[in-house]
Amino acid sequence: MKPPPPPAAKGGRRWRALPTTGFMALSFAGLCLAGQGAVIPAKALLAQVLLERAFTRSQSTGAPVKAWPWADTVPVARIRVPRLKVSQIVLSGGSGEALAFAPTLVPGSAPLGHNGTAVVAAHRDTHFSFMQDLQPGDVVIVETTDGDRTSFRMQGGYVVRNDRFAITPRAVAPTLVLSTCWPFDSNARGPWRYVAIAQANLRA
Amino acid sequence: MIPPLAARRRPGSFPRLHRRRASLIARLSVFVLSVMMLSFASLAHARQLAPDDEITSGALLLRARNGATPSAVALGTDMDVTITGLTARVKVVQAFRNTSRDWVEATYLYPLPEDGAVDSLKMVIGQRVIIGEIKRRASAREIYEQAKAEGRAAGLVEQQRPNMFTNRVANIGPGETVLIEIEYQAPVRRISGEYGFRLPLVVGPRYAPSGASATDAAVTRAPVLNPRRHADINPVSITVRLNPGFTPTGFTSPYHAIQIAEGSGSTRTITLKEGSTPSNRDFELRWRSAETAPGVELFRQRVRADDYLMALISPPESNRRRTPPVRELVFVIDNSGSMSGDSMRQAKESLKLALRSLSPTDRFNVIRFDDSMTELFDKPVLATREQIALALRYADQLEASGGTEMLPALRAALVDDTPEDARRVRQVIFLTDGSISNEDQMLASLGSNRGRSRVFMVGIGSAPNSFLMNRMAEVGRGTYTHIGDTREVITRMSALLDRLTRPVLTDLRVVTHGGDAEFAPADLPDLYEGEPLILLARTSNLRGSITVSGMLDGRPWSRRINLNQAVEGVGVAKLWARRRITDAEVGHRLDQVSAEEAARTIAQLGLDFSIVTRETSLVAVDRTPSRPQGARLTEEELPLNLPAGWDFDRIFGASAPDSARSTEAATDDPSIPFDLPQTATAWALSVWAGLGLALIGGLGLMVMRRRSARS
Repeated sequence: MKPPPPPAAKGGRRWRALPTTGFMALSFAGLCLAGQGAVIPAKALLAQVLLERAFTRSQSTGAPVKAWPWADTVPVARIRVPRLKVSQIVLSGGSGEALAFAPTLVPGSAPLGHNGTAVVAAHRDTHFSFMQDLQPGDVVIVETTDGDRTSFRMQGGYVVRNDRFAITPRAVAPTLVLSTCWPFDSNARGPWRYVAIAQANLRA
Repeated sequence: MIPPLAARRRPGSFPRLHRRRASLIARLSVFVLSVMMLSFASLAHARQLAPDDEITSGALLLRARNGATPSAVALGTDMDVTITGLTARVKVVQAFRNTSRDWVEATYLYPLPEDGAVDSLKMVIGQRVIIGEIKRRASAREIYEQAKAEGRAAGLVEQQRPNMFTNRVANIGPGETVLIEIEYQAPVRRISGEYGFRLPLVVGPRYAPSGASATDAAVTRAPVLNPRRHADINPVSITVRLNPGFTPTGFTSPYHAIQIAEGSGSTRTITLKEGSTPSNRDFELRWRSAETAPGVELFRQRVRADDYLMALISPPESNRRRTPPVRELVFVIDNSGSMSGDSMRQAKESLKLALRSLSPTDRFNVIRFDDSMTELFDKPVLATREQIALALRYADQLEASGGTEMLPALRAALVDDTPEDARRVRQVIFLTDGSISNEDQMLASLGSNRGRSRVFMVGIGSAPNSFLMNRMAEVGRGTYTHIGDTREVITRMSALLDRLTRPVLTDLRVVTHGGDAEFAPADLPDLYEGEPLILLARTSNLRGSITVSGMLDGRPWSRRINLNQAVEGVGVAKLWARRRITDAEVGHRLDQVSAEEAARTIAQLGLDFSIVTRETSLVAVDRTPSRPQGARLTEEELPLNLPAGWDFDRIFGASAPDSARSTEAATDDPSIPFDLPQTATAWALSVWAGLGLALIGGLGLMVMRRRSARS
């Protein structure tokens, strides 16, 4: 094979520098994107550790404790599903930001463990990924910061549209609704929600 | 959904890249891109899998039971009240009948007078009588739980609030009836020459304000029957044996029809005309003395080495013609959901009556609250005819709905913009049913912000929270008036309004001479015309005298009481202990004593006088197990009636302030739409897509380098 003439070689170098920069930019952008994605589960995991600590302190002092100084929400409860070995701290429903750190009590729902319907929501691909394994009859234990413990029994799960869901404010017994996006292994944002409904065990 | 997951795991094949890098680039790129494609494909897949409209066309509604259902355990209550002098001894027998085929544990939440001292528990099962013992709360709980687990019958009396108790009875056999008998001591009230005793029969459902402790609210809550669906339950029969020490006359029972039988001397026996009543409103009995001046006003009781005293100090007749003080009045009216129905009408009528009684030199303001709050004027204004007309119109349009956030209203009412104006008397009048569970916060706030304001509580409805009312009035150095019926508005309110213009004795102090004494209450209130002060004391040597002094119409006044005059009284010691417990509780709430110190004092008083307090409980346990091993124990929380005059839908439709408003917006549909938040982060997608891009870039770079190295 004959080497190309000098001017062509010069042009070739320039031609070759372009894809190098392109590939570099591509890998840089890719790493940024991947990093951004990876931060989400990392944040979710780390936040739970800090929240667990804040919750324990809150339980012993009886006063709300922020997990980190700039937090705009406080831990309100610990939610456990013994069968699935799940234990998570629930944040008071503040901003949408809170969902990144923990399941949150959705504003407008009843306080956990009280008469009425408490709705707790979390991301399907972080905290509430266990929801796909929930079965009717599963026991969900909710412990609030003041040591009150309510045991709920899972009634069933339903797929609903986010604008087709309603709760009745007249619920006399404590009712717990866990909500997350559906389907579980999809990466798209959509209108579908998966809700699991549990009733307090008043007699167990 | 599985393909993308499985595909993602394949990057284990990366090491092979060494050899045939260049040739692999293409394949890998394709693979990475396919992973991304598959991920995106799941989007489409999601749409496909979305359930058919048949499932979601009707919104998913969580329909909870519309009110509680009657339980398997039937409850009947008998109350036997013996009133001697100024103390009442009440024996309450609750019969728990298990109508089911299971072994049952029953829990019943019931009210008692907040100044009552529960000191006895007996449990009757068949022929056996088991006497309860006073224990520290935690150890009583432990004993009870152990007995419950071992299948032995057990009873536990716990205080949840000073006026709210629970009885728990474990292991009631199928078809069995267990009797629980508790006894308590309570003082008789005296206002304007009238004597009164109140038997609370029902606990009103309480509103738990946001931020209130959940456990705290949970124990003050029991299932409530919807009166439209179920007949009233928990019948009560009442017998009052009255021996006042003088000839009683002028009996009234404002809420129940009664029968009076005359006994020997001045004794009377009062029973319900109907025999029994559903426990949905408090029972009240009032009487007067046929003689003009009551005789003895000093009672004593000797317990162990100490003497306990109860003194009634009546304020002197004041000069009726003196000019009433110039006042600043702040009216606070509760228009929350629990006030709906009769209560709201009573509150409005009371407010309007009070507004009309103002004189043009008074300044006034009106504050209304539910879960929000409005002040009629920015600051108190002179009570001119126009301003009063405005306030009257405002009162007329108030409607009951929403939650009860009383704290902001209290704070606003206590804002005093002229604290140095000693000429003007500042009075705050609260019209509420007090159905809240954050009593501590209210009292603490009142204690630290009261300034020179005097706080007067007007309890509205058939079952107001009289503990809160009395303590608020006490800490606020005012009085508590209860209005249980619309017909009472005029009489009670005008008595209060009249009283407000005539503070008789202020700055009260008590001093002992030639002896020592511990007094309760420690913080003495102002005295108004016709209202005696009940002073309780403990002393180790009953001699000498006490002097009560204060200011009467701006001049010093004092009265000396010789302790030798005391006559034998019943239950004085227990009333003293109960009063000290209240002082310790209030002291703690006002941050005068630490929580530990208050708890220690209360526990000690509870154990010494065998009284149920928040630190001590009564527990009774049967020795022999009755429930066979392996038989299941069902737990029942006995439902309560809704207090008479309350509106079920308003209360339970208004459990959360937000939902209350939405319910009003769509009254046809009891359910409210609820927005479920977006809960997908798609972090996996960005991680894999990002890694894929980085990989393509990296591989590309490698190829480029290799090529340039070759050339």
